[in-house]
Amino acid sequence: MIRYVKLAGLIATLLVIFLPTFTLAKEFRFSISPAEIHVDDLPLGETSEFEITIHNKEELTHNFTLTTFQPPEEERREGRAEFPDDSWISFSSFEIEVAANSEAAVTVTITIPREPKWAGKEWETWLGVTAESRDLLTVQLYTRLLVSTTPAVGARPDTGLIVGIVVGIALFGCGSYYYYRRRT
Amino acid sequence: MKVVITSVIVAVILASVFSLPVLAQESGTITITMTGVNDISISLDKTQWPLGEVAANTEYITSPPIEWCTLTVEGNCNVNTFIVGENAEWIDDPTAYEWTLSADGINGDNVYGLQFRISGDTTRGPLGDGYVPITKTQDEFWPYAGGSGSSLAPGDTKQFGLKLLTPTYFVGSRQMQTQITISAAAA
Repeated sequence: MIRYVKLAGLIATLLVIFLPTFTLAKEFRFSISPAEIHVDDLPLGETSEFEITIHNKEELTHNFTLTTFQPPEEERREGRAEFPDDSWISFSSFEIEVAANSEAAVTVTITIPREPKWAGKEWETWLGVTAESRDLLTVQLYTRLLVSTTPAVGARPDTGLIVGIVVGIALFGCGSYYYYRRRT
Repeated sequence: MKVVITSVIVAVILASVFSLPVLAQESGTITITMTGVNDISISLDKTQWPLGEVAANTEYITSPPIEWCTLTVEGNCNVNTFIVGENAEWIDDPTAYEWTLSADGINGDNVYGLQFRISGDTTRGPLGDGYVPITKTQDEFWPYAGGSGSSLAPGDTKQFGLKLLTPTYFVGSRQMQTQITISAAAA
């Protein structure tokens, strides 16, 4: 008898309630746009802004969260490197409430530091939008963000300017030489 | 004197010709392009799996096993899809107790396994039975490397099922909660 009681106790301790939800299974639908954004020739130190629109296709208001995600190399577009620092990207809000059957926009801002090493780069990162949920399965949608920067102006030597000055000095020197030679 | 003036003018012109294009780059135009018509969306016809009480070291499979949930592409662009899981947390105090999600689908003490299988996939996964471990690192759902499938087009569907392998040991009578995220990016 004691053995049976012990066994029953053991089984009881091994039981848990895993995902104890008994509500009906449901479908949840939302979309985001655009699916892909190219920000080309972004000068170092300058800021670029664009919007991501979230469309809640349900009959209930939902909260959505926004994050950045670094895709693995094999998922990035050809020739694109990993985006160096997620802190260069900011959202007008990391969480937004979207009313039923309506849409809302989140402003995304990108600022690349004015450092020569970031010049002339081509990067890719993903911006993820997730509907807040406590269900077992949830959906996240990504916008591909492809950013390219301009070549560094301040950092690279201004070859043209230097050549121009050298040629100018040379011409000025020649002119002066001939002028004084003619006078003497 | 004329020669000097001419030399200075020529020098200035030459310097300008070489330097102005360089200086002009400081005020470049930023181009922002939104590619295509660009509406990305997928939906799942099930988001919950009401298991109730579970026993240790036991396998649970959705019913039907591989056609339990349907993923549908609803936007207007082709997509690649991915899947990622997380540790299961005690609902009452998530920081106090959790089950760690296995990295290979194999369970252990307070370590649980999650796997998915897509309908039609009979040889995928480490055991070649179609079941693929869900880990904490985002991995391919469909298409996948080494597979013959291509990106999903608008209107396409994929049916799949889940398998749960509970820990060999866990603290009982605690409600545990976890989440599996299925994501999509433009192909």
